[in-house]
Amino acid sequence: MTMSLEVTGITKSFGDRQVLQGIDIRVEPGELFAIVGPSGAGKTTLLRCVNFLLQPGAGAIRYDETVAPPEPAPLIALRRRIGMVAQNPFLFRGTAEYNVSFGLCVRDVAEPELSRRTSEALRAVGMSSLARSRASRLSAGEAQRVAFARAIVVRPDLLLLDEFTANLDPTNVNILEAAVREYNRQTGATIVLVTHNMFQAKRLAHRVALLLDGRIVEVGPVKEFFESPQDPRTLAFVRGEFAY
Amino acid sequence: MAGDILHITALSLLVSGTSTLVATAIAVPVGTFLGLREVGSARLLRNILFTLYGLPPVLAGLLVFLILSRAGPLGALQLLYTPLGMVIAQVVIVTPIILGITTSVVSTVERRVKDTAFVLGADRYQLAVTVLREAAAGVLTAIMVGFGRAVSEVGAVLIVGGNQEGRTQVLTTTIIADVSQADYGHAVALGVILLVLAAVVYSLLYRLQERTLP
Amino acid sequence: MRYLIVLLVVVGPTLTVVGVLSLPRAYVLMATTTSTRDTGLLPYLLPQFTADTGIEVRYIAVGTGQALDAGRRGDVDVVMVHAPTNETQFMAAGHGLCRNILMYNTFVIVGPTGDPAGVHSATSSADAFARIFQNQSRFESRADGSGTYTKERELWMAAGLNGSTFGPWYEKTNQGMGATLTIANERSAYTLSDDGTWYARESSVPYLAVLYNRTEAILRNQYSVIPVNPVAHPGVRSEQAVEFARWLVSARGQSIIGAFQVNGHSIFTPNGVGVC
Repeated sequence: MTMSLEVTGITKSFGDRQVLQGIDIRVEPGELFAIVGPSGAGKTTLLRCVNFLLQPGAGAIRYDETVAPPEPAPLIALRRRIGMVAQNPFLFRGTAEYNVSFGLCVRDVAEPELSRRTSEALRAVGMSSLARSRASRLSAGEAQRVAFARAIVVRPDLLLLDEFTANLDPTNVNILEAAVREYNRQTGATIVLVTHNMFQAKRLAHRVALLLDGRIVEVGPVKEFFESPQDPRTLAFVRGEFAY
Repeated sequence: MAGDILHITALSLLVSGTSTLVATAIAVPVGTFLGLREVGSARLLRNILFTLYGLPPVLAGLLVFLILSRAGPLGALQLLYTPLGMVIAQVVIVTPIILGITTSVVSTVERRVKDTAFVLGADRYQLAVTVLREAAAGVLTAIMVGFGRAVSEVGAVLIVGGNQEGRTQVLTTTIIADVSQADYGHAVALGVILLVLAAVVYSLLYRLQERTLP
Repeated sequence: MRYLIVLLVVVGPTLTVVGVLSLPRAYVLMATTTSTRDTGLLPYLLPQFTADTGIEVRYIAVGTGQALDAGRRGDVDVVMVHAPTNETQFMAAGHGLCRNILMYNTFVIVGPTGDPAGVHSATSSADAFARIFQNQSRFESRADGSGTYTKERELWMAAGLNGSTFGPWYEKTNQGMGATLTIANERSAYTLSDDGTWYARESSVPYLAVLYNRTEAILRNQYSVIPVNPVAHPGVRSEQAVEFARWLVSARGQSIIGAFQVNGHSIFTPNGVGVC
């Protein structure tokens, strides 16, 4: 299904470097929301705060209008509604099939449902013929497709994509973008896409935000963001005037 | 003499095999737990562990002997000069070895394994199992090293087992008795069997290990 | 928890087998010396006892010191050694129930076939040792607290010599009789051995020969059997140990001992006294 995401006043520092300086974002259920900005702006850090890999310095994150529960059982239940695909995929030792079914095993999904959903997910990314291949033998594009299938097979309500097609060739980019669109359409899940590729943001997103120096500079519907941005910095970024 | 060679070989396999299995059952979970802990208390434990690495097998045998003797604290169990006593001594020797190697391979598993499994919804136990799975080849190496130590060890099983004919004689201790009685032919035969035994077990474990490589 | 199930299935059976093999024993456990084992007497003698009485006797063969200590600790039911001085101390300290003098064999002096020290023409055992000392011939001493070592020191004393002043020709092996003979053979050295071990090992030590083999009281290697005191160690199988001690000094036991031969030599002279 889906989830709303609200981030208020999130800060995060590493040592004396303050990466996030107070982030405020609201993502509506079912939206495909892109966050763009130069490298090092803090985009990955923000995502890692959302899915509990990092602990923010200050601020609050609300999932479906509530903060994360402290008790372990409901916390894991919430965690399992959020998925992520990172830039360089890490696949577990074993076959593509094994990797995709990992999340289902973790959630104690039994046969025959497990196999059915695994093959479905592999098909969605065009990896059915390579299901039995060793993960270590896959090309970068194939591996990323497997990582994507692995993330969506468990039907996350919130899917975080962190530069997930960076370094891939156009064919793989197309396959993955189509898969994202299809997933969003089929399930209505909320998708947050971090990218430095403006064209991708234009192709996929409903709304776009610009993250610059640890702060959100502008948020707007995709058309307005690119054609008539309000902030001069947004304009400069869209024109490619940021050196990064 | 042929009959007893079979008996001696079977006992060697039984004692060293059992002690390796028991040591694995203890050392792998503990080693995984220690390997997953980033810093702090784990460091002190690791230092103790590396000291135990260097524990000479014969010293382990002596300590177990003193404990299991009727005059010792666990004397009432009457485990001295029995195969179970020998297993206990070998477990003391083999556990630190498997524990140390497991901790080492688990702690060097890429951070991304934990992160990826975490993001896919794994709880603490599932995370540990996933990391262990990635380190499987290394853990199997640990088990092989442990078994090798157990089956070739002679001091501890001699002291704790007493080398009784038909009851606590294993390949290594019988070789000692044979040499003292100048029965070199018998000793060499047993030595060859020991090598073959080790080779067979290792080849089985190598095959298993190949299947666990990424 | 799948792990626990796998654990039980794999480790369980092997541990069970080991456990079954380790159940409290129904047999008598004896501590004796490596020399006794090396003569080959026990595999000949013990089955006959079992045939007569139905009681099984097994043994561990270790150094004399360790054998007596096993008795002291109550880890064995009966002790059979050949170190009268240590045995007396053992009895005086209350560790033994009773002591049956059993049989004796003889100590012999063996050495390189060329006999550089002229031991063969010695007038007495003490004289033989004196000649070894004068010639500074290499000598292997067991130096391990065994009955043989005790006897060796007695002989040096009888020759008026002090072992701690000896030069490098006097080597200490710290091992059993069989191993010491092997070393003496390799290094062409003299050593003191009991004739039982010697005749059992003769063919494997071609560079050695018996150079002094005479009946002298001092060369007697006296064996005794001592059941461990059940008062000090309630768990020992005292009744059966005593039955064993009695059988050994009975007419039957003594005749079997006398009939035992090592490579054609009757080495044991039964002189049993049944105190137990």
